[in-house]
Amino acid sequence: MKRRAFMLSVGGAAAGMVLLPRMAFAETGKIDWYTSSDQNILDFWTNVVKPKFEAANPGVTLNLVDAGDAAGQTAIGERALAAMQTKTDPQADYFESADWRLPAGAADAGLYVNIKEAGLSNYSKINPLAFDGDYSVPYRGSQVLLAYDTTKLDPANAPKSFADLVTWIKANPGQFIYNRPDKGGSGGNFVRRAILEANGKDLGKFKIDNYTQEAGDAALNPAWDILKDLSGSLFDNGAYTSGNTQSIQLLGQSAVTMIPAWSDQAIQAINTGVLPETTGLVQLQDLALPGGFSRSVVLSNGVNKDAALKLADFILTEEVQSAVLSELGGFPGVAWDYVSQDLREKYKDVIPTTIPAFPGGDWEKAINDGWYRNVAPNVDRNA
Amino acid sequence: MSLSATSDIVGTKTRRGLTGLLLVAIPVFLVVWMIIWPIISAIGRTIWLPNDGGTGRSFSLETYKFFFTDQYSLNNLSVTLWTTGICALLLVLICLPIALYLRFAKGRLAAYVQGLAIFPMFVPSIILSYAIIRVLGPNGTVDLLLNSVGLPHIRSPYLTPWGPVIGLVWDNIPLTVLILLSGLGNVSNQSIEAARDVGAGRLAVLWHIILPRISNSILVAVSFTVLGIFSAFTLPYVLGPAAPEMMGPFMQRTFRDLNDPTNAITQAVIAFCFCIVFGLFYVRSVAKNRNP
Repeated sequence: MKRRAFMLSVGGAAAGMVLLPRMAFAETGKIDWYTSSDQNILDFWTNVVKPKFEAANPGVTLNLVDAGDAAGQTAIGERALAAMQTKTDPQADYFESADWRLPAGAADAGLYVNIKEAGLSNYSKINPLAFDGDYSVPYRGSQVLLAYDTTKLDPANAPKSFADLVTWIKANPGQFIYNRPDKGGSGGNFVRRAILEANGKDLGKFKIDNYTQEAGDAALNPAWDILKDLSGSLFDNGAYTSGNTQSIQLLGQSAVTMIPAWSDQAIQAINTGVLPETTGLVQLQDLALPGGFSRSVVLSNGVNKDAALKLADFILTEEVQSAVLSELGGFPGVAWDYVSQDLREKYKDVIPTTIPAFPGGDWEKAINDGWYRNVAPNVDRNA
Repeated sequence: MSLSATSDIVGTKTRRGLTGLLLVAIPVFLVVWMIIWPIISAIGRTIWLPNDGGTGRSFSLETYKFFFTDQYSLNNLSVTLWTTGICALLLVLICLPIALYLRFAKGRLAAYVQGLAIFPMFVPSIILSYAIIRVLGPNGTVDLLLNSVGLPHIRSPYLTPWGPVIGLVWDNIPLTVLILLSGLGNVSNQSIEAARDVGAGRLAVLWHIILPRISNSILVAVSFTVLGIFSAFTLPYVLGPAAPEMMGPFMQRTFRDLNDPTNAITQAVIAFCFCIVFGLFYVRSVAKNRNP
């Protein structure tokens, strides 16, 4: 009986410790930084940006916080908006990657600093294609491409167009997997590329405010047919991983031959040995898989607003932008002229010729729900 | 039983009645505030829907009608019930022998077995999920071991409904074993020895002496695990198939990815109705214990 009594008391004590309240207050000189991105981005900031920035700015430190995901970070934004109304400390200064339209009304209320008017010395270097309004600093880009195992697929035969890809998937059943579109951008943008394929590769058809039920059905249903048609040839007769990382894990375990992957995640996985060196990367040439830029915002009511603006300027320096390329495998937020020639040469795989960007909003909702209802269940798993 | 401490405190003696009421006031208040009120509010928000014009609310069972006519939602519900049922069955089948062994065995080995049985309690489910992908996933450890001795590939349970079942069963072993073990504490050695003296075999002892004594504990263990598994999130999310989903991931996705709180709450109310049945089992068995 003693063993059991011991186990119960240990269990109780452990539960008690979890329930202890935790308090935090913002400090001057410590920038409260939040990210909704994956672990590789947090690692990049921890190992590269933080030491460089703190060395360049004595007395200022960075408190890097993982907000979990976009919704988690939006919740921090909502807290900051509420703090703004009560004129209290939001305990947040900087969001690594955010949409300034969220939370709704935040920009109108003045929650985010207008970067264009903030006088950043490096602002003029930003790639004109990367801007999305005046409230955010585009500093890194990433695009979905195809990662594949060169020991099983000769790079010369790697698919170069969506039609080639479909042919390859069908000719090699069980060797391709993508993740559920709402659980990570690699699968999400693969699905969006299929939607573009079903709509004559016409990006202009999709705008943030032109979703209607009829337009949605007309545009999406043919895409579901393409994807349903593929499902039987996917890994395990139509399995879908629940995230970018799990897809990379399956490629790493050599369970599949090809996956869609974020360029930065794939290159970092190769650099750290998660994916073997024999991993090949290829982008579709007829129309690339979609991608986009990550844009930072600075909170206007943060205690360390000035230091946070310095940080926003700092990440646009050549030092950090080159690291975005070499350490992160992303593409820079500044125009390519501001990156050294040898880096441009070395990373030509990820230099995009086109970066199709797909709108969010109601389209995103329709895509997520439609995929689950139309593509995922219509799979005969025992076939 | 009639002289137990609890019956003394919550009994009818007026002298201590006030103290007793004060003692239970705080937990009762917390339960009302944090559990009962959200339930009432959730039910209210799903049957009084906002009118089309945006002014006021009126009574409507539309969201429930949608759920029960929507094949996709029904599939999710049935896979949740299937997973819960299979897990409960497997847990009893696996944990009862472990608990019996721990009750009657002595010595070092029993201590190790107990340690092993309790171990899952200290493993966070997200770590467990990735470990299962590594071990049972395609080309995982089990696959490699089988291949090395010339056996064929297994069909990995990863991304099939069996993935979450394996994870949830492993994760719930400690709780089930602990509850069954405490139930086995009620079985006295004397009664077993007496039964053996009159010639009862092992199975007869189990069937006529042990099981009747611990049937209540089995019921409690099953209701506890069912409540936990019905609303499980992480393991079905990472290990399960894209569709059908279990109710936990389905609710979360409806709420956040589809920005549809009303339907998410409807799903939650429906899940709650299933769980309350098992909750009532538990309450009934506790109440039965109190008043013999």
